[in-house]
Amino acid sequence: MTIASTNAEVTAIDTQARWPLLLMLGGALKWLVVAGVLSLIVSIQLHSPAFLAEYSVFTHGRAVAMAETAFVYGWAANAGLALALWILGRLGGEPLRALNWVVVGTYAWNIGVAIGIVGIAIGDATSFSLLQMPGYAQPLMLVGYAAIAVSGILAWSGRRTDGTFASHWYAIAALFLFPWLFSAAQAMLVWTPVRGVLQAVAAGWFAQGVWTLWLAPLALAVAYYVVPKVTGRALSGYDFAPHGFWTLIVIGAWTGGRHLVGGPLPAWVATLAIVSCTLLLFHTLVVALNLRGAFGGGGTALKFIAFGVGAYVFGGLLDAVTAFRSVALVTQFTHFTTAQQQLALYGGVSMILFGGIYFAVPRLTGRPWASAAFVAGHRVTVVLGIVLLVVSLAAAGWIQGHDLNNPKISFADIALHTRPWLLLATAAQLILLSANLLLLVNFVRSVGACCCCGEETAPAEAPFRPAATMEAHAS
Amino acid sequence: MKNGLVFFVGLFAALALSWGAIVLGSHRQLGALAPFYDDSESASFPARPTGLAARGQLVYADLGCASCHTQQVRRPDFGGDQARGWGERQSVARDYIFQLRPQLGGARVGPDLTNLASRKPSAPDTDDLLKLLYTGSPLHPAYAFLFEERAIAGERSAVALKLTAGLAPAAGREIVPTERALSLVAFLLSLNTSYDYPESRPLPKAAAKKDAGHGAAPAAKKEGEKK
Amino acid sequence: MSTPSNPDPRIDQAGATDESLLAAHEKLLGQHKDEKGHYRLQPLAVLFFFCGLILFGGTYLSSYSGLFDARVFDEHGQPPKAGAPVAKLDPREVGKKLFNNAACNTCHQVNGLGTPGVFPPLAGSEWVLGSEERLIRIVLFGAQGTLKVKGVDYPPTSQMPAFGKVPGSGYNWTDEKIAAVLTYIRSEWGNNASAITPEQVAAIHAKEGDRKSYTQDELLKLP
Repeated sequence: MTIASTNAEVTAIDTQARWPLLLMLGGALKWLVVAGVLSLIVSIQLHSPAFLAEYSVFTHGRAVAMAETAFVYGWAANAGLALALWILGRLGGEPLRALNWVVVGTYAWNIGVAIGIVGIAIGDATSFSLLQMPGYAQPLMLVGYAAIAVSGILAWSGRRTDGTFASHWYAIAALFLFPWLFSAAQAMLVWTPVRGVLQAVAAGWFAQGVWTLWLAPLALAVAYYVVPKVTGRALSGYDFAPHGFWTLIVIGAWTGGRHLVGGPLPAWVATLAIVSCTLLLFHTLVVALNLRGAFGGGGTALKFIAFGVGAYVFGGLLDAVTAFRSVALVTQFTHFTTAQQQLALYGGVSMILFGGIYFAVPRLTGRPWASAAFVAGHRVTVVLGIVLLVVSLAAAGWIQGHDLNNPKISFADIALHTRPWLLLATAAQLILLSANLLLLVNFVRSVGACCCCGEETAPAEAPFRPAATMEAHAS
Repeated sequence: MKNGLVFFVGLFAALALSWGAIVLGSHRQLGALAPFYDDSESASFPARPTGLAARGQLVYADLGCASCHTQQVRRPDFGGDQARGWGERQSVARDYIFQLRPQLGGARVGPDLTNLASRKPSAPDTDDLLKLLYTGSPLHPAYAFLFEERAIAGERSAVALKLTAGLAPAAGREIVPTERALSLVAFLLSLNTSYDYPESRPLPKAAAKKDAGHGAAPAAKKEGEKK
Repeated sequence: MSTPSNPDPRIDQAGATDESLLAAHEKLLGQHKDEKGHYRLQPLAVLFFFCGLILFGGTYLSSYSGLFDARVFDEHGQPPKAGAPVAKLDPREVGKKLFNNAACNTCHQVNGLGTPGVFPPLAGSEWVLGSEERLIRIVLFGAQGTLKVKGVDYPPTSQMPAFGKVPGSGYNWTDEKIAAVLTYIRSEWGNNASAITPEQVAAIHAKEGDRKSYTQDELLKLP
């Protein structure tokens, strides 16, 4: 079914994909709130270890695993996949196919994640970072993922234009590579575990792969689409975009030994990772060059994406600097690593996904967001929360790192020195939780408003102005 | 990018290459690491952990202790690990070959536990650890759910905790560690990697001094080494 | 179309259609030079940056990877050369471990004083501090019958077992081990005699071959 070539912003591509994608996005936002509650619990336990200690389901180690799983596999996965599918559909020019599979897949994936989190709570966590969900939850997730990804691959292979755009590459790379990463990690760590410290190597390869080959591409697919769409101008330095893409994919996977500096492994594992993190600076530069248009623009989506791109670029720089052994000496094993993780996952990926959600949902529902106040409120509080969280954790980690290397300072003193910063971090988690509640409520109200009217009735005023044609200026 | 198949092959190759180099490569090097047999002690190191200790490691893993404790000692000139008495040498791959699920850990909210059983001047014993797990401390959460409070049937249990004053249970009742608590403590008390493998000995000072320098310095020539 | 000056935060207007977005960027990818046929400065700088990163990465990798050897855990290290001996442990340390491994300390005690009237002492013993020929034979082949140590007779019932690789030995220690433990006892507890080398032990072992334990008279006949 072809779409008549109009300049209409909302077409059958959006209306047909409405309910499956809104289902995924709604699920994502609910998981974000769940992850926010769990992260708040974790943050409180860092400065007040007795919090919820009598409940084995909330013991600190399990709470950390649950928070991480809910955030990455609940929120980021659902939102990233939904936006990736939507963008692939729009760029393909045809309505998405296999949407029933997407719905089945979404349920399977989310049930799998829920089983995983419950499994962690009752004591079946695997103890591998970003792969904490027990073995029995993982096959269901893999099957669900495949069902969702099929639609994306079909949208790409059935596209109307011959050429592809950066969002295509990043989205397809994410869709294609994750199942391989996931099943390889399951084979090496869960089903037939490798021996001794090799588990750490395999787990490191997987965790870095999840970041560089899955989450970062999903976020970049969204950013690369929304920025030119909103600004109306072609991306600057775009002729380097393919190089930036391939640098991420080829080199990103080699950063596996990133957190194994000084560990019980031959030196080459960590050295390889340090070199790879440095080479990734090229990719970071290309992203900064390409997406700098986000910083000039107005509108909700661009503001989120600008923050996200800034955090991603800064995070990439920080990652390269802290990979070196002389810096890792201080930052390793401290809250600083957590701060970097939050910068990347929350500041980078999540903010870009928020921008994508703010851009996509009106096009999916056919009407603007329900409340401008909530939109502005979410934006201000989430920025405040992220900045506060990253800064306080980084400060705590820096102090902790220096204190750890001074054998005269006892752990009681380290706890005392870092306590104020950890309290600030808890405050930040509280702010973030309330911010994301605002978003969830706004989302529910926006979708609800759309729900009451039938499929074909348009809102009172046509919300979308017809879009212009983009010029190919090489700027 | 137009050629779909080449694109997918390129993506897969990128992933497979990194997996092959990092995972398979290190597997080739370390996958068949054998224990080191010491003639003078007529024993091989590391020793296999007891069944109770091995189960204890799984309890450690499912409680997520690795979120605050590491089990890897860094080498002498890299941080304060050895000065803090966490180990007399750095941890090497051979230390972990018999562990079902090595818990290297990624954060040091609490101390490193690699050599908990050989801490100087005195290592903790079973009673110390059980008490810490039951009561917690200002720095350490309590794990009271690993213990059972029950009525004393006949005589006190041999493993019942000896608690005093405010912590002691009511008269006629005792606090008994569960199987999980006992295996966890057995695991913690089996943590001892003091054997000095050839690969774990630190570099001679002369070689280390020659190479010491900024990490970014290109091609620091090691005249002594390269012959 | 640029973004309006007062955007509604609840909705973002699109600046371009999807088709034109695709077409515009396709065109950009097709360009390599600008209209005048010159290369632009920006790509060159980026290229240099990339090459600089590769150069840095390569030199860092060659300096700090220990040549990808599995035995190098310190990034400043080099792989051990083939045939080079591993840093040898101190023979006294090895000897001390052997002594205390329930081999010698059960009878001669950890403090080397033995049990009066039952097991002879090693501290200050003339047999330990004196002739190496006699001492090595005692440990290699064992001793039987009465032995007088520091003026006290020790009965035949306290047999000194054979530790060397001889028939009837429960220990079958190598010459290196015997040399190590002898070096230890000759320098511990106030003793201050020279070390014993594995070569000395091997020479005596070769000379005597397999034989049963020595008696005091046989030992005293030796130099």
